[in-house]
Parts: sequence; C-alpha cells; structure tokens
Amino acid sequence: MAQAREQDTAAGLAARVPRSRPPFFAWLMVLPAVAVLLAVTVYPLIYSLRESFYRLELSFSPVAHWVGLQNYVDAFTKDPRFWPAMGRSFYLVGFGVLIELVLGLGLALVLNRLGRARTIVTALLLVPVMIAPVAVAIEGVVIFNNSWGPLNYLLSEIGISGPIWLGDRSVALNSILLADVWQWTPFVAIILAAGLRTLPEEQYEAAEIDGATRWRLFTTMTLPLLQPLIIVTVLIRAMDIFKTFDTIYVMTGGGPGSSTETASFYTYLQGLQFFSFGYAAAISYIQLIVITVVATLLVRRMRKGLG
Amino acid sequence: MKGWSIVKNGLTWFVVAVALAFFLLPVVWILITSFKAQGEVFHYPPIFWPKNIDFRHFSSVLQGPGGHALKASLIVASANTMLSLLVGVPTAYSLSRFAVGGKHLAFWILSIRMFPPVASAVPLFLLFQKYHLLDTYWALIIAYLTFNVPFVVWFVKGFFDDLPRDLEEAALVDGATRWRAFTGIALRLAVPGIVTSALLAFVFSWNEFLLALFLTRSQVRTLPVALANLVGGHEIQWGEIGALTVIAIVPVVALALVLQRYVVRGLTFGAVKG
Repeated sequence: MAQAREQDTAAGLAARVPRSRPPFFAWLMVLPAVAVLLAVTVYPLIYSLRESFYRLELSFSPVAHWVGLQNYVDAFTKDPRFWPAMGRSFYLVGFGVLIELVLGLGLALVLNRLGRARTIVTALLLVPVMIAPVAVAIEGVVIFNNSWGPLNYLLSEIGISGPIWLGDRSVALNSILLADVWQWTPFVAIILAAGLRTLPEEQYEAAEIDGATRWRLFTTMTLPLLQPLIIVTVLIRAMDIFKTFDTIYVMTGGGPGSSTETASFYTYLQGLQFFSFGYAAAISYIQLIVITVVATLLVRRMRKGLG
Repeated sequence: MKGWSIVKNGLTWFVVAVALAFFLLPVVWILITSFKAQGEVFHYPPIFWPKNIDFRHFSSVLQGPGGHALKASLIVASANTMLSLLVGVPTAYSLSRFAVGGKHLAFWILSIRMFPPVASAVPLFLLFQKYHLLDTYWALIIAYLTFNVPFVVWFVKGFFDDLPRDLEEAALVDGATRWRAFTGIALRLAVPGIVTSALLAFVFSWNEFLLALFLTRSQVRTLPVALANLVGGHEIQWGEIGALTVIAIVPVVALALVLQRYVVRGLTFGAVKG
C-alpha cells in the first residue's frame, strides 16, 4: 500500500518527540553512524571543494597550483565538451522520465486488473529493476549487436531494417535511453499500481453513477489523486537517470565520437582518463548542485507526506 | 456485457504477456548465450536454442577472472552489509524512539542516500590514495557505506516505527537498562526488517560499479568491473561473459522474487510501502 508515512512528516515527528529531551544513550546510538557519514561524505566533499580550486593534472605533474575559480570558469566558458554532455544528461532525464511514466502508468492500470496473478507478475517485473546496471548493459551489447544480435534479426523478419544501435551517432544515445526504460519502467509501474490501489472506490462508484466516462474519471480523479506519488516517482527517477554511468561505460564508452558522453561520464573521463582531478572535482560539484536541487524538492515532498 | 468483459480480460492478459516478454526475454537471452559455443554466438540468423546445454563456460570463467571477482564481490558486499547494520540499526532505533536531532538529522541522513557517486568518487580516490587504501577491499567496504548506512537507517527505522513501544516501556519500569530494552526486545522484534535491509544492502553493494571502477585496479575486482573488463577485452568470449552475468544476476533475481513487497519500499527511501 502506498501511503503517507505519517511518522516521517514534520507534524508526525513533532507529535512523537517525547516531552523530555532525548537521553544521552540516544545520542550515543547515533554517534557511530554520524561519524561514519561525516567521514565518508562530508570530509571528501570539503576535500574536493578545495581540490576544485586547484589545477591538478597528474599526467603532467603531481604539484597542484591554486587557480581559484578558474576550473569553474573554464567549464562554463572554455570547455566545448561540458555543456553538450550536460545537454545529453538532461535529454536522458527528460525523455526517460516521460516514457517511463507513460508506460509505467499504463502497465500499472493493467496490473491492477489482474487478480491473484498480480503478485507473481509483479515479482517477475522486479527482475530488471534488481539486476546490476552492468548486467543490463551486457544484455544491451549482445541484443543490439549489429551483425549477430537477435533484435535486428527479428526486425528484419518483419521487414524492418534495424539501425546500428550502438554504432550510429544519431541512435546510440537513444539505445542508452532504451536500456534505462527497460530497467526502470517496471519500478514506476509497481509504485503507481500500489498508489492506484489506495484510491477511494466509493468516489469512483458515485462518479460512475453520475455518468462520468472512464476517460473523465481518469483525468479528473485518478491523476489528481495520484499526483503526489507521481511527483515523488518523477523526482527519484530524474535523480537516478542524471547519474547514469554504468550502461554508457559498457555499451558505448561515450561514443561513437562523443555522442553518448553525459555529464557523469565526462567527469569520469576528466578524472580517471585525463587525470585532471581539479577540473573533475569542479564539474562534479556542478552536477552535485543539480542533484541537490532535485533532492531538496524530493525531501520537502517526503516531509509533507504523500497524502 | 459478458462478451465485452471476456474481450477486456483477454486484452489485459495480452498486454501482460507482451510486457513480461519485453522485460524478461533479454535476461533469458543472456542465459541462452551462456550455453552457446563461440561459433554459435556469431551465427546468423541467431541460434535461439543452442545444441548442447553444458556448463563449460561457467567453470572456465570461474577458473579465470570470474572466480576472483565472485570472491571480491562476496567479501565486499558481506563486510559492507555487516558494517552498515552495525552503525545503522542503533541509529534507526534512536531516531524512531527518541527522535534524536529532531527531523533534521533524519533528513540529513536521507539526503546522503541521494548523493551522486561520481561526486564522491574523485575525492575518495584522492583520499584513499593518500592513505594507501586504493585497490583494497577496504576501499569499497568503506566507500559503499555512503549509500548503505543511510539506506539501513531509513529502512529499519520504518520497522521500529511500526513496533509498539509498550513492551520496552514495561521492561524499563521493571528496571531493565535502555540497552537491555533495545537488544532484548526491540531488536528481536525487528529481526525480519533487519534481515530484509541486510539483503537489500547486500544487493546494492553487489551491483555497484562506478566507485569500484575508480577505487580498485588489479588486486580487487568485483563482478561488475570484471564483466566490464571482459566486454572491453580482445577476443571477447561471449559464452563466458554470459555465464558470469548469470552468476551476477542469479542471487539478485532470487531475492527479487522473495523480497517483492519490500523492494519498492527500499528503492523509494521508504516513501512508498509496496
């Protein structure tokens, strides 16, 4: 059941806070986790912020020079690869979220028409969601293969000449997109199916008696009632698609040319291939800002609860 | 009216069948590939059912790079899961029962779960280089705490929230220490939730690729990195790659079937109870 986690909303928490201050013991219990998280996230963040003000190119010299904001200025003005890479990330986010939402909603409606079989169908649909993105990418490489892959063979059987999925500049990014749609549409469908089951049936019956058509019910009742859940789903998917890396690394390596080079993949190139750590730190900070904006919206939504 | 409902049911099942085929056949195709001889892989038209079903690729890949990778993945994922539980479960309890740090602490921890790995990869690389931790199990065991500690905290907190407090309060009145009330009562009752969180945390570590790529080289290679290397190598052995992919996804698929209703809850930061 999709429902507001009342305890987690601001009002819910306030109601549950004991009158007295938390005992010392309670603080002791959170201490290890807070220490670990400070050490593995906040410390590296500060470290990399410092790094981003230096020019550190390990392929030339181990000595870092202070350059102030130059790395950021370069990213915004000088680097011809950074903005196109950001553009591709947003392309994947935009179309990925849109396609997964539309297909997911359709699939959710169908899922809820199943009786007992729904449980097993749902479990099977979770298989793509749970497996490693690298495994998804390997499926992609094998299935999209131009000379011996099954996909273009099947397409040719019905008279369609399939594209060169991973080797054509104008197609490759869409093949990456297709891999994401394959892996995550079931996730969206299962969330929305759970949400649909919480909708009040009586209201629907009443509206149907009043002679509302199916389509009108869907647009005037289902979608608005489902809206909070849809927003949370969209934000989660947007954040994850923006981080896409594994499938690109395995399926195309950013190519052909730079046609599948997204922001996260370009950061990897700058860091681990070109060893420009200062610059890589700077552009990873720019992405962090994008993620933070989305994450803030998401956390705000979750604080309010989904009701 | 009755005929119409038969048509609608038929249509429903048709859509379900198409969806299942679309979402499962790629996985089945990898399984088929793992049984194929090298010549069969490159055959056109593609061979949909290989002549011999044997497991030679499984044994050969496990004797090669796959064996090391399997071991590395098992070590990293188990150790990371245990550490995540060790620091995460008490925190979950404290946040649930005492609302320590108000809502801010809880949501700070949640926001770390959303952190992009590429942003922590570069600084962790530089830090681990400084402390000579690159290319060790510890590098990944530590790095994976960034996502698994917040995950365990939020997931298990949800379970503690659902447990009645009465038993613990009664124990406290009877003179038990708070620690006893936690370990003796709450922890026991939350065992199903804790086990589920452990299994999901294990999967998240098991599947991780980007940090492993940054932080390890030749000594430690987890399954996803080993797979990526095999695909990028010369004379690609598709049978072996198929076999190693199957090895990497079988435990996860088994868990997907068992943990069904918790997976969605785990992947949405507890926002949606599946």
